[in-house]
Formats: sequence, C-alpha cells, structure tokens
Amino acid sequence: MRHALSKRFAFWRRRRLPFAVLFKKFQTILERNNQILELMADMGDKLGGEYVFDRHYIEHSVQELEDLVFKLVSDFSLLNRKRNTELLIACEQIRQAINGDLAGRPVQTASTPRIVPLSAIGLELTDEVGAKMATLGELHNRLGLTVPDGFTITTGAFAEFLATTGLSARHAEAVRYWRDGDDQALRRLAEESHRRLLSAPLPRDLSALLLTAFRDLAKRRDDQGDLKVALRSSATGEDGTSSFAGQYATVLNVAEGRFLEAYRQVVASAFTYPAWRYRLARGYQDYEMAMAVGCQCMVAGTTSGVLQTYAPQQDAKVMGIESIWGLCAPVVNGDCPVDSFLLDRIPPYRLRVQVVAHKPRQLVMDQQSGTLWQDVAADRQHLPSLNDSQLQRLAETAMTLEGFFKRPLEIEWTFSTADTLHILQVRPLSRWSAAPARAIVEAADEPQAEVIFAGRGTIVQCGIAAGRVVLIDSDDDLDRFPHGGILLVRHSSPRYSAIMHKARGIITDIGSSTGHMATIAREFRVPTIVNTEVATSLLQPGELVTLDATRNVVYRGDVSEGHHFDLIEEELFEDSAEYRLLRRVLNHIIPLNLLNPQGEDFVPASCRTCHDITRYIHEKAVEELILLSENHGAAHASAPRRLTADIPIGLLVINAGDGLAGPADAPEVAVDDVLSLPLQALLDGLIHLGMWCTTPVAVDLHSFMSSFTRTFTTALAGPRDIGRNLAVVMRHYMNINLRLGYHYTTIDAYIAETINDNYIYFRFLGGVTEFIRRSRRAACIARVLEHFDFRVEIHGDLVVGRLKKQAPSRMRDRMRMLGALLCYTRQLDAQMHSDRDVACHAADFIQAIRNPSGGNTHESRR
Amino acid sequence: MSPVADQPPIRLLILDDEPIVCKRLKPTFQKLGYDVETFTDSASALARLRQQPFDIVITDLKMEGADGMQVLAGVKEVSPATRVIVITGFATMETARESYRKGAFDFIAKPFKLGDLVECVQRVEKTLQTDRRTPPERQP
Repeated sequence: MRHALSKRFAFWRRRRLPFAVLFKKFQTILERNNQILELMADMGDKLGGEYVFDRHYIEHSVQELEDLVFKLVSDFSLLNRKRNTELLIACEQIRQAINGDLAGRPVQTASTPRIVPLSAIGLELTDEVGAKMATLGELHNRLGLTVPDGFTITTGAFAEFLATTGLSARHAEAVRYWRDGDDQALRRLAEESHRRLLSAPLPRDLSALLLTAFRDLAKRRDDQGDLKVALRSSATGEDGTSSFAGQYATVLNVAEGRFLEAYRQVVASAFTYPAWRYRLARGYQDYEMAMAVGCQCMVAGTTSGVLQTYAPQQDAKVMGIESIWGLCAPVVNGDCPVDSFLLDRIPPYRLRVQVVAHKPRQLVMDQQSGTLWQDVAADRQHLPSLNDSQLQRLAETAMTLEGFFKRPLEIEWTFSTADTLHILQVRPLSRWSAAPARAIVEAADEPQAEVIFAGRGTIVQCGIAAGRVVLIDSDDDLDRFPHGGILLVRHSSPRYSAIMHKARGIITDIGSSTGHMATIAREFRVPTIVNTEVATSLLQPGELVTLDATRNVVYRGDVSEGHHFDLIEEELFEDSAEYRLLRRVLNHIIPLNLLNPQGEDFVPASCRTCHDITRYIHEKAVEELILLSENHGAAHASAPRRLTADIPIGLLVINAGDGLAGPADAPEVAVDDVLSLPLQALLDGLIHLGMWCTTPVAVDLHSFMSSFTRTFTTALAGPRDIGRNLAVVMRHYMNINLRLGYHYTTIDAYIAETINDNYIYFRFLGGVTEFIRRSRRAACIARVLEHFDFRVEIHGDLVVGRLKKQAPSRMRDRMRMLGALLCYTRQLDAQMHSDRDVACHAADFIQAIRNPSGGNTHESRR
Repeated sequence: MSPVADQPPIRLLILDDEPIVCKRLKPTFQKLGYDVETFTDSASALARLRQQPFDIVITDLKMEGADGMQVLAGVKEVSPATRVIVITGFATMETARESYRKGAFDFIAKPFKLGDLVECVQRVEKTLQTDRRTPPERQP
C-alpha cells in the first residue's frame, strides 16, 4: 500500500510551483478543513435525537467526508511537496475501519488485547471491554470514584474462544428461525449452543493468560491464595443503549479453582434462549454481539443496593434508593423485602420518605466460593440499612454520575466493611429520555430567575447545566478544574478537551461553532455557548449559574431545579441499528487525539480519526506556508518594491497576488497602495503612532518610535540587512520578516471574512543586551500577547504567539497592536532591570492601547 | 397543537422503505393524537389508500416498486383532498418542483428534524380544518 500511494503523489515533488499557486492551495486547504469540520459537526448533531436519518444518510456523509479528507491530504502534498505517505496510510486505515463498520464486519479484531486492567479502561475501549466495564473504568480513572479493582477479559478473547467452538456460524440459522417465527427451533439451537459452550475447553494460551491475570491481581491486592472475584458480563451494547437487564450471567465470589469455569458460564449466557431472542427482537446483528467479561475483586458489602437517580412515579424531584444488609444481588433480583428511601435531587439531599422493611436474612460471601444466606442479628432486622452519612454520600455520587452521563441512571452500589462506597454498576434508567428544555422554561418564569445575559453568542451544544463558574486562562489551570464546574474561557481551544469530561457546561467570549473545540463539546455533549463576547466580564469565578444552551441564556443561581428530565414512553431512538451504526462510524471520525502541536505524538502516525488528520494538516500547512514565503517567495513572485513611508522603514514588499496597487514593475510602493489587509493593519500600528503622543501614560511611545527609526536606519547599512526586511503579500495574506536592530520578528497572517481561516503567527527573537534582560523582554511581550488572546510559548528569548479564528475586525486590531508592540519593545530590554519591570511595562503598553488619544477605536479587554 | 377534541383524529399514513423512519415517526405523531399507520413498501400502502382515505400521507420518494411520485399520483387519484408531504434523501430542485407540480403539499429533505415535520403536519392540519368548514370543490 505504501508504495502505491507514494507513487501516486510523486509527481508533485518534481515540480516547483509558483508561490501564488501554492498559496491558492493553502487557501483550499483552509476551505476543506472548514468543510470537514462542518460535516463532522453535522453528523455529530444527528446523534442528538432531534433528527430522523436513515442508513443512506450515513453512507452518503461518510462518502463525502472521505472524499474531502483525501483531497485535503492531496492539497497538503502539493503544498509541502512531500509524499506524506504516513498521512495517507493513516487515512486508509481510518477508511478501512469505517467501511468495516458499514459492511458489518465483526467489531473485534486480531489486534484486540485479551486482558485489560481496570486502570487502562475508558469509554474509548467500549468495543473491547463492553459498555458496562468501559463505564466503570471511566468512573474509576476519570471521576476518581471507588470501583472494585480488577480487569476485563475482552471481546477479543471472546472471539478467540468462540472461533474454536464453531458457534459464530450459527447466527444466520437463528435469524432464519426468528424470521419464520419458529420459536421451538430457536430454543433448541440456543440450548445446544449454551450446552456446548459450557463444556468447551478454552484455548490453552487463553486459559494461561486468564489465570496469570487472576494471580497478578491477587499479588497486587496482597490477597494471595484468597482472592475472590465477581465475573460480570459486559457485552457490546449491554448497559450502553439497550439495558439487557437480567439477560446475561453474573457469577459471584469466584476463587481461582473455579475461575475458568465461571468465565465459560458468563460467556455461555449470551446464547441462552431468552438472551438470543432479546437480541433478535432488537435487531442486533451477529457482528454486534461480543461478550467481554469483567473480573472484579469481591467487596464484602455490609450494606448494598440500587439507586435510581429519578423516581418520577413518586415525585419528579426525588431519587430513590433500595437497600439491604449484605451483598447487592437480592435487591437486583427483587426476591427479598428491602428498605426504601426517597431523597431530594438537589442539595442538601433531604430525606423525604423512609420505609424500613423487616430484613431477617442477608446474602454474604461464602468462605470457600459462592454466596450463602445468613440470619441477620435480631436487633438489626428492623433497623434501616443506611445511615444519614451513607445516604448523603450516595446522593452526591449519584448526582455527579448523572451530570456526567447526562441521563437518569440506575446505580448498583455497596458499602464495604471500611464504610467505603463502591460503585458496582451504572446503567441508563430505561424508558426515560432527556427533555430538559421545557423544565427550564417553567423555572425561568419564576421571578427569582435573574438573567445575566441572553441571546449572546452561538449555541454549539444544546442542553442545560448548573454549576459554579471556573475561569481558566492558562495551561496550568487545567489540572485544577473541578468536576462539575462551568468552564469559562476567553477563547475556545481544543486543549480544553482534556477537561471536557469534567465540565458541566462551557461558555466562551470568542470562538466559532465549527472549530475543533465545538466538535469535541458535541462529542462530550457538554452544553456550550461560544462567542458571547461578554461572558468573562459579566460572570464571576465561583458564582453559581445556570447555562441554558438550548434557549441561549445564562441565569444567576441554579434555576434548573430537579426538572432535568421528562417522561417519554416511547422506544428510545438509541435502540435503532442506524443510531448504533452512526455512533460506531463517528468513533473513527470525531475523537481528537492530537491535542498538543508541541507534543511528540503530533505526527501523522498518531492520526486515528478524520479529526486528527484535519488538525494535523491545518497546523502543518500554516508552518509550511511560513517556510515557503521565507525560502521561495522571492524566487516565484513579482519583483520586490520598496515601501515609501514617513518613516524609513526600509521594507521590501513582494506582491504575490492583489496585495499592492500601482504598476508591478515600479521600484517603489506607497503606504496607500498597500492593499494587503494584514500589512495595512500592521503599518497602521507601526507608522501612525502619533495618535498616542498626547496620551498621558508612563511610557512615552513617541520616544520609542524615534529610537526605533534611528536605530533602524543605521541597521540598514548593508544590502544583507535590507534583505531581512521583506514582506510577501496578497490581498488577505502577509508574511513579513523584520530585523529591527538585533532582533528578528516574523509575522505570518491571513485575514479575511471567513473567521475560521483567520490566523496570526508571531515570532520574536534576539536583542542586544545580556540574555537575562532579553528573556525579561520576551516575558513582557508574552504577557501582552496573552492579554490580546494569543496562545503563547516562550523558549528563552524566543516568543511565539498564535491567534486563530477571530472576526476580521478583531484580527486587524490585533495586527495594529503588533505594529505598536514592535515599536514599543524595540529597546525595552535595555530597561528591564528587574522581573517586576516585566509586569509594569506590559501593563503600560496595554494601558496605552486601551486608552489611545485621538479617537482610536481599538477595543479593550474587560 | 393536537387535533381538535370534538373532531375525529386526523388520519396519517407514513410510507418509507427505511423502517427506522417509520419507527421514529409513528410514536411521535401518535403522542400528538394522530391516527397513524406506517408502511415500508409502496404496494401495501397504495392498497391501503384505496381501501380507506387518509387526511395526510407522508411518503418517501425513492423506493422499490412504485416510487413516491407514483404514490403521490395514486393518492391524488383516489382522494384529491388528501395532503401529501414528500420526504427524500435525494433532494434536488427538480424533484421538488415535480412534487409540487403533482400536488404535493410540502417537500422535505432527509435527514430532517422531527420538529420540522411535526410543524409541517400541523400546517396541513390547519388547512384541513378550513376545508372541513368549507368543503373544497372536487378536483377533476
């Protein structure tokens, strides 16, 4: 494959194309990038349940997307004149994975690991470990909740086992019986299959692997010789969108001697008559059936039960708990009297109703293996099996979980002898569907619902969230983001995907609804509004607010009350094969793995989704263009023209297309003839500084200006120096390389109407003073850039600032600011006596920009 | 808006060869008080339409056997007052124009929002109520 693909793109490397052609390619890349993001967002929207779509839609969209991605790579190959074989291979692998899903290939593959420890499990491993275990892994590894330790025997192991039994071939038979309504034949087939699995030997490798995993767990738990585990089915689809409640087996308290037998028992339960019938009735295809098995250390529960986060048959504002002494199984099986509690769904989770049952017996772990019934001490038989502290902890945990999963849940739990709450299982409460919009309307009509702002910005993901505002403005803050907070940021960035799972909602001042972050917010289904412009100035960190991203309003306080859900007695759309297919396909499309452009894994080989590919190419295309205009711009565009200005700026400008007016062969060009929008704005900042002269600020910018021009003139002594001051321009684009005295600045910018295409790349290096002062200047510049929404990196005295996806007016303002900044910082390093000066000078500059005299319309921040 | 209480429920026939569409639409309209029947093949749907008139027909365009245009013509033939809404995943200006020419009330591209279709049906319902007060002249 590698050879064929690279041959296909080989011709591009041989040709050198004019800069204007390459630049057009670059623009095409930006356009395609946008189209892909929009299409992805569009497909993601369809999972929300609002749309009716069919298989044709999925196939059609996938086709369109693959086409766009392939063209994107082709364009990029033209731009960077490389084969990009790795990228093409990544594309091909994604394409094959998607087509595999569309063709209904089995979800498990040969490369699937057979054992995965709890610590490595998350929702992304759903295909391997089943939804039930994936959910528990997520609770443990992301939410930090206590879950019984253990590992999962994957669907890969299941496939390997099944292959030795020849049973996978019988599905077609089962489908036929089901279609013909021949229940007897289906029952016979199921019983035969079930029997055969119970007695079939496991492949030797597999059984050795399983026993090793068991012993490793025992060693880790310091439980040698005494470890008992619970084996639970975790089939694909189970507990995800269909509950499969009670269809598959759970075997409790299994010692090493019975471990393999218990594994077979759980696997075989997939082929009982009721389970098979259930799958056929729900339209599950055979490839959708794969049984992973979770192995969890047994927790000697002192009291256990089930919590339903919503009990509308009682009251819409309560959650319900049923509990019993001992292990949890009797509550699930419903074959014993249990205590029941109703608690408020909102803090402080007041106990509304408590009904204590007579509980003469409890289920406990047998010393050897299995479980046994035991009499409860007489004085405890009539006592409630949960105390206030336990109820409180249960309620808090349940609301956290519900917030995370965004739907009413049924939670199985147990308190250990050490009084630690263990979550055993979490599944969606069936027959309930989220319909929050109506609830908030009622709540909002109440007089106490104060609107902080409404109708600002763009809705990215509908939904409602209440929580405390957490303002984030640097990378370091990300780790401290608390679970359940409302993320408030100045501008959207894909790096927030790292905390997306913790955020109840997201509000930004700046951002687009088709950007990377928007796509991820939809993936996590986090209610999100971007581009509000005012959020950071109106919301206080720590303040409790309700974000209604359905009606586009932010309220003060929690006005969502307990009305999160609405009863809808209809089949859930998530149960349809089309929905499951779209979700599987989108797994290869939407998740973003390439988060950090500076990271080592920001390479084509790490691209696992279409999103990764677009992100990689977008980042690299910008880099490539800078390289191109530095190295090849002069060789391929028109002859350079010297800029004539009031100041002797000594800048040569190359017009690569519609960037300059006047005759192309003229040796000079006036400032007024500059048509390039980015250069216009930059020159505006550089040259027209007179407006600040009268401003009573601590730093006299005018004096910097004079020093700048003076030093600059002397620096322009030799032709080599002149060559450093070069701009390649087009109508919407500029690449400028400046040497001001001894520092070097590069700015690469594109400014046009389409917000998503816009970017400024700013690089600053060097200076005449000793390193420490230069570093201070770098820190000062970084502060200023950050203040103006740039994403900044500092390496010693090198500063790189990036600004993306802002409205053209804002981009122009930022360019003007950069022009001013270049003047201002020209000799700052000579004045940087202490680290404190960094902050002072940065503040002075920002102040000067905020309060210009002479009616400048620069916008200010907060 | 649900059908007026003192009138018999609005009768709705839904035809789409993709079962998922019928599966999604049926409960939605039932909950709103409509009398709903769904079909995944046009022959059965046409047979049913000949047996009994429906107030509203929602039909897919591209199907095995008789396609949506033929169904549209068939409906108008047996029951000119029936309103037809065409839904299709292959929407073009041309098919839209043809649908309207053949008497379709509205034309909706798939995938669509449930709310949009509900709104469309409710608009049809308004015209039906007007018609019930002043019966339309029979079309030729």
